[in-house]
Amino acid sequence: MIKGAFTRQWKKMIMIALTVALGTSLATAMLNVMMDVSDKVNQELKTYGANITVVPKSASVMDSLYEIENGADDGAYLKESELGNIKTIFWAFNIVDFAPFIDTKATVSADSGEKEITLVGTWFDHHLELPTGETLNTGVRSLRTWWDISEGDWLSEQTYTGTEKPCMVGEGIAKTLSVKSGDIITVSTTHGSERLYVAGIFSSGDTADDEIYASLDTVQALSDKDGLLSSIEVSALTTPDNELAIKAAKDPGSLTIAQYETWYCTAYVSSICYQIQEVITDSVASPVRQVADSEGAILEKTHLLMVLITILSLVGSALGITNLVTASVMERSSEIGLLKAIGAKNGAVSALVLTEVMITGIVGAVIGYFAGFGFAQIIGQTVFGSSIEMKLFVIPIVAVLVIAVVLAGSLPAIRMLLRLRPAEVLHGR
Amino acid sequence: MSLLQLKNISKIYGELKALDDISLEVENGEWLAIMGPSGSGKSTLMNIIGCMDKPSLGEVILDGRDIAKESDKGLTEIRRDKIGLIFQQFHLVNYLTAVENVMVAQYYHSMPDEKEALEALERVGLKDRAKHLPSQLSGGEQQRVCIARALINHPEIVLADEPTGNLDEANENIVIDIFKQLHKEGTTLIVVTHDPEVGEVAQRMIVLDHGRIKENTINKNFGNT
Amino acid sequence: MTKQKMFLRMITASLIRRRSRMIVALLAISVGAAILSGLVTIYYDVPRQMGAQFRNYGANMILVSSGDGKDFDVTAMNEAVSHISPESFLGATPYRYETVRIHDQPVVTAGTDIKSAGITSPYWHIEGAWPAEGEALVGKTEAEHLGLKTGSSFTMSYADESNEKEPVERDMVVSGILETGGSEEDYIYIEMSDLESIAGSGDLDVAELSISASQEELTAAADSITSADNGVSARLVKRVTQSESTVLTKLQALVFIVTAVVLVLTMICVATTMTAVVTERRKEIGLRKSLGASDRSIIVEFMGEGLLLGCIGGLAGALLGFVFAEFVSVNVFSSSIRFQPLLLPVTMIVSVAVTGLACLMPVRSAIDIDPALVLKGE
Repeated sequence: MIKGAFTRQWKKMIMIALTVALGTSLATAMLNVMMDVSDKVNQELKTYGANITVVPKSASVMDSLYEIENGADDGAYLKESELGNIKTIFWAFNIVDFAPFIDTKATVSADSGEKEITLVGTWFDHHLELPTGETLNTGVRSLRTWWDISEGDWLSEQTYTGTEKPCMVGEGIAKTLSVKSGDIITVSTTHGSERLYVAGIFSSGDTADDEIYASLDTVQALSDKDGLLSSIEVSALTTPDNELAIKAAKDPGSLTIAQYETWYCTAYVSSICYQIQEVITDSVASPVRQVADSEGAILEKTHLLMVLITILSLVGSALGITNLVTASVMERSSEIGLLKAIGAKNGAVSALVLTEVMITGIVGAVIGYFAGFGFAQIIGQTVFGSSIEMKLFVIPIVAVLVIAVVLAGSLPAIRMLLRLRPAEVLHGR
Repeated sequence: MSLLQLKNISKIYGELKALDDISLEVENGEWLAIMGPSGSGKSTLMNIIGCMDKPSLGEVILDGRDIAKESDKGLTEIRRDKIGLIFQQFHLVNYLTAVENVMVAQYYHSMPDEKEALEALERVGLKDRAKHLPSQLSGGEQQRVCIARALINHPEIVLADEPTGNLDEANENIVIDIFKQLHKEGTTLIVVTHDPEVGEVAQRMIVLDHGRIKENTINKNFGNT
Repeated sequence: MTKQKMFLRMITASLIRRRSRMIVALLAISVGAAILSGLVTIYYDVPRQMGAQFRNYGANMILVSSGDGKDFDVTAMNEAVSHISPESFLGATPYRYETVRIHDQPVVTAGTDIKSAGITSPYWHIEGAWPAEGEALVGKTEAEHLGLKTGSSFTMSYADESNEKEPVERDMVVSGILETGGSEEDYIYIEMSDLESIAGSGDLDVAELSISASQEELTAAADSITSADNGVSARLVKRVTQSESTVLTKLQALVFIVTAVVLVLTMICVATTMTAVVTERRKEIGLRKSLGASDRSIIVEFMGEGLLLGCIGGLAGALLGFVFAEFVSVNVFSSSIRFQPLLLPVTMIVSVAVTGLACLMPVRSAIDIDPALVLKGE
C-alpha cells in the first residue's frame, strides 16, 4: 500500500524529499563549516607571525633594546641541536612554523660606504628531518608574511646555488648604501668577515628594515657561536584562553591533577609554552600577547558569529521542511477521507501517512547530507583554499533534527486529517 | 435554426472511440436529458457541449459559431458568454461566501453586481444564506448556489452534470423544481444524469451507449407531473 | 461594484479565510526574508565589527620625526591626528624614551600617556594596576633584573648626556608589572609629566596610533600626514595592517559565501512551499476557467495574492531579520549593529519576486490543464 502511494504520488513525494534534502544540506553545510571555522581562521591568523617566543632563561635583553651596549655576552644561549624537539611535544601537530634566531652587531660595507647594522641569522625555508622520520620546511618565510619583497626574491636555502653565502637586506640599509639585489656586500664582525650575495630587499615596516638577514650558520660563524641560538619564534595553533589556562599560566603547580591533565592536553598557548620549555634546555617560552590575545578574541567572535548564523539557518530549514510537510499532508485530505470511508482506523491512517513521509524524509536527508557536505567543501575551497573536515557527529545531529522536524511537520496535519469526517471529504467540501 | 447543432461528431482517445458519429440538435428553450451508463460517452459529450473540449471529427455549431474551429481562447469566451455550468461536486470556491461565489461568475463575464447576485440567490431560495461559506451550507444549499452562479450571466444554455448525484431526495426535488421553473422562463437546459427520475422529468431524453445514441424519446407526459 | 473591488475582495477573502495555509506561506516568506535581511546586515557590518576586534593587535600606524629639525612633540602629534577621520580614530599614544639609572643600572624608560597606551596596546597584561602620576609600570624582564615588585619603590636618576649637571632624582612606586611576551617587557613606563620632571622637555621618539580603517584609508591618512610637512612622518605597521586585511578579507568572504548559500537554499525552500500552496488549488483554477476566466486573469489573481503575501511576509521578515542581526551583534560584538535602510525595500522586492516566481510556475502549469479533467475529480 505504501509502495502504491509512492508510485502514484511520486511528484508530491519528490517535492517533500527535495525540501528535506535542501534543509538537510543547509544544516549539514553550516554545522560542518561551524565546527571547522576555528581551525580555518586560526590558520589564517598565522599571517600575524609567531605567537610564542622562546628565549634563554637568563637572557641578556640589553641588545634587543635601544642598542645600549654591543652584545654584553653573559653566555646564555639555546642549543640549535634541540630545535627538532619542538616538533615532538604533545601538541607537535599544532606547531605550524618555527624559526631560530641569532644576531650580532656587524659592519656592512658596500660600494657606496659602510654602516653599523644588526646581522640576524635565521632559517628561511629550512628543510628539517625529524627523528620521527617526518620532514618539514620551516623558517621566516612563513613567519614574516607581511614582508614586501621590493627587489629580488625570497632567499631559499634549498635552491640557492651561488658560491657566496646569501642574505636579505632591509629596505633602510638598502637605501642608505644603495644596495640592489644581486649585489655582493661584505659584513665584518670582531670574529671575521664574509662576502654575502644579496638575494632580495625587503620592507617590513618595523625595525627589521635596518637589519640584514642571513642564514643561521653564516651568522653563527661570524659571531663565533656555533650551534647556539639567541631565540626561537614559534607559530602554533592555539585554543582561546579560559580561566583554567589563565590560572595555569601563572603557576601550573597550583592545579589539581585532573585540572593539570585537562590543561596539558588542551592547546592553550600556556600549555604549549610549558611543553616547549620541557624539551628545550634552560629556556623560557612566553606567549606574544599582541598575537596570542588578539587571536583568542577573533577566534571566539568568529565562532560565536558562525554559531548564531548556523542556528538561524537551522531554524530556517526546519520551518521550510515543516511547512512543506504540513502543506502536502493536508493536500491529501480526500485520499485519507476515502481510506477512512473504507474502514481504515485512525492509527492505520496515521501510520500510513507517517511511514510515507518518513521514508521520503530519510531519502531526502541522505541526499541532502551529501549535498550539504559538498556545499561545505565549496565554502572551504573558496574562502580558505582548503577542504572542510568531515565531522562525524554532525550526522546524528542532522538525523535527529530531520526526524524531529518531519514529525513536527506531519503531526498537526495528521491531527487535522483525523478529525475529518469521511463523508464531508468525499462530498467535496 | 437550432440553438445547438452537433453534426456527425466523434471523439477518439487513441484506440477508444468515446463518441462515435453523433448528430443532435437542441432547440432554444428545450429541456434535454442525456442518460446512459458509465463509459457511454456522457461526460465527453457534456464537455464538448460545455465548450471544455473539442471533437476529433465533426462540427459543433452553437448559436451560429463552429466551436470545433475555435482556439482555446475563443472557447473560453464562448463558455463565459453562453454556457452556465452546474457540477455534481458543486465546485464552489471554499473561501468565498455564497454571494461572492456567484459574483465570481459575474466578475469573469462582465461586472460584479452584488444586488443582482443576491437576487439570483433569492431565486433559488438562499437569500438568508448569502453570507455563509460553502462549509457552512448543506449539500443541497451548495448545489443551489452553484445553480445561481450558472444563471447569473443569463446563459444561452444551462448545462448540468449529475446535478443531483450528491444530494438526498428532498434536495433532489428542490433542484428539479428549480429546473422546472427555469424551463418555464424559457431557459435551455441540458442535464446529464444516470438517475431515471431526473431524466424522466425532461422534455426529451437521449440515451447513449458505447458512444452512440441508442434512444431518442420525447416525453409525452411532459408538463403533466 | 467595480472589477478592481471584486479583485481585492477575492484576494483578501483568500488570505483571511484560508488562514492556516496563508500562515504556512507567510511563515515561510517571513523566515526567508528574515534570513535575507539579517544575514546581509551582518555581512555589511562584519568588516566594521571585526575590524574593531582586530584593533586588539594594537597600533597600526606609527608617527616618527621626519628629521627636518621641526619639533616632534605632543602638539605635533595631535596636529597629525587631525588628518584622521574622528569616526575611525581610536587612540594615539606618544612615547619618549630616555635612559635613566636605577640602582646605578641603565634602564630605558618611556614617558607616555598611560590612558591612551591602554587603548593602543590592548594586549598589555598588567599584574597590579595602571600607574598614576609618581607611579611606574615596569616590564617583566626589567622587574626581574632590578628585583622590583608591585608596591616597591625606587629612585630613578637622570643625567644629561654631557654629564655636566648634577643628576636629577625622583622617587617612584611600582604600580604594576607589564607582561607582553615582546620587547615592551624590557622597559619602564611612566607618565610623560613624570619623565619631563627629571629629563626636561624634549621630542617624542614615536607615537603609536590605532585606527579602525581599511588599508587604503590608512595609506591615504599616512600620506596626508606625511605631506602636511609638520615635522611628522607617518608609517603603517605592515605586520598589523597587511595581516589584518588578509584575515579580514577571508572572514568577509566566509560570511559572504555562507550568506549566499543560506540565501539560495532558503529561497528554494520558500519557493517550494509557495509552489505546494498554489498547487493544491489546481481545482479552483480549473473551476475559474470553466466559469470563463481567461488565462491572464487567473495569473493576475494568483500573482496578486502572491505579491500581497510577499509584501507582508517581506516586511515582517525584514524587521525580524534586523532584530536577529541586532541580537547577533550585541551578543557577539557587544555593540549595536549599523542598519542598512536600503535593505528594507530590497528585502521586500526580493520576497515579492521569489514569491511571485514561485506562484507563477505552478499557476502556469495549472492553467494549461483541461478544466474538464480537474473538475471531474482526480
